[in-house]
Amino acid sequence: MLRIPCPHCGARDEVEFTYRGDATVARPAPDAGTDAFHDYLYLRRNPRGWQVEWWQHHGGCRAFLKVLRHTVTHEVRGVVTATGALEAPQA
Amino acid sequence: MSAPEPTHPLAAVVRGRHGATGGEPLRVSFPAREIVQVMMRRGQDSAVAAAMRSAFGIDPPGPGQAATGSGASAIWVQPGQWLLTAPRGTQATLAARAEQAFAGLAAVADQSHGRTTIALSGPAARDALARGCRLDLHPSVFGPSRAAQTPIAQIGCLVHQTDATPCFELTVFSTLAEPFLHWLLEAAAPYGVQVA
Repeated sequence: MLRIPCPHCGARDEVEFTYRGDATVARPAPDAGTDAFHDYLYLRRNPRGWQVEWWQHHGGCRAFLKVLRHTVTHEVRGVVTATGALEAPQA
Repeated sequence: MSAPEPTHPLAAVVRGRHGATGGEPLRVSFPAREIVQVMMRRGQDSAVAAAMRSAFGIDPPGPGQAATGSGASAIWVQPGQWLLTAPRGTQATLAARAEQAFAGLAAVADQSHGRTTIALSGPAARDALARGCRLDLHPSVFGPSRAAQTPIAQIGCLVHQTDATPCFELTVFSTLAEPFLHWLLEAAAPYGVQVA
């Protein structure tokens, strides 16, 4: 069970949140072509290590949050609001 | 607008004592409330704060907080959004007052029929709630005028502590009020519960 410290609500259980995928994926330009949109839609990195992810606090303040989570240990090291900046540490 | 409600969502609930007998029971009641949702428009923070102060005598409460002013309370529910509540049937309807106060500053939606408030009070109220509520309700963390939205028994519930008895006002969608109350009466059964 993850405990995610929501910047608005404080630490809450994972069940209050919905995982919404990799937060570092950038939408291509409108004229980027089908291949770029295919990759944007379907291809994910699936890293072993730190990943910045979208989590929505649907059971609380309903805000979209960026969460820095380790995909092996599940350690949560940082949480910011959707407009905040959060970088995954290298390696 | 809040027309008089012909049937309260919990009108059919059996009143009287449920669960354990003997000792001081928990008390459950269904206060009739007007509930209005206020969603701030972008960048109107200070204007909304001024409007809430002049119309209701309330400084907009921050995350996890609730505040009471002249005849109404405001509960923070999410960034830029509050629920205003007032006892049902006071002067002008709360929605009309809010609509006037926040014209151009916030979207106002009457939720009086959409949400139902259940009040739970008594010394064992924390223990009963803790059987399904993941929030830490210990007095050192959660106290009077604190509020939080959290799922209880898989039903989204706004938990608002109104006094140190402790009394909790639990606001849920009206269509889920009956299953929610069913859970609450089961959770409170070991302590005994009086439904008024």
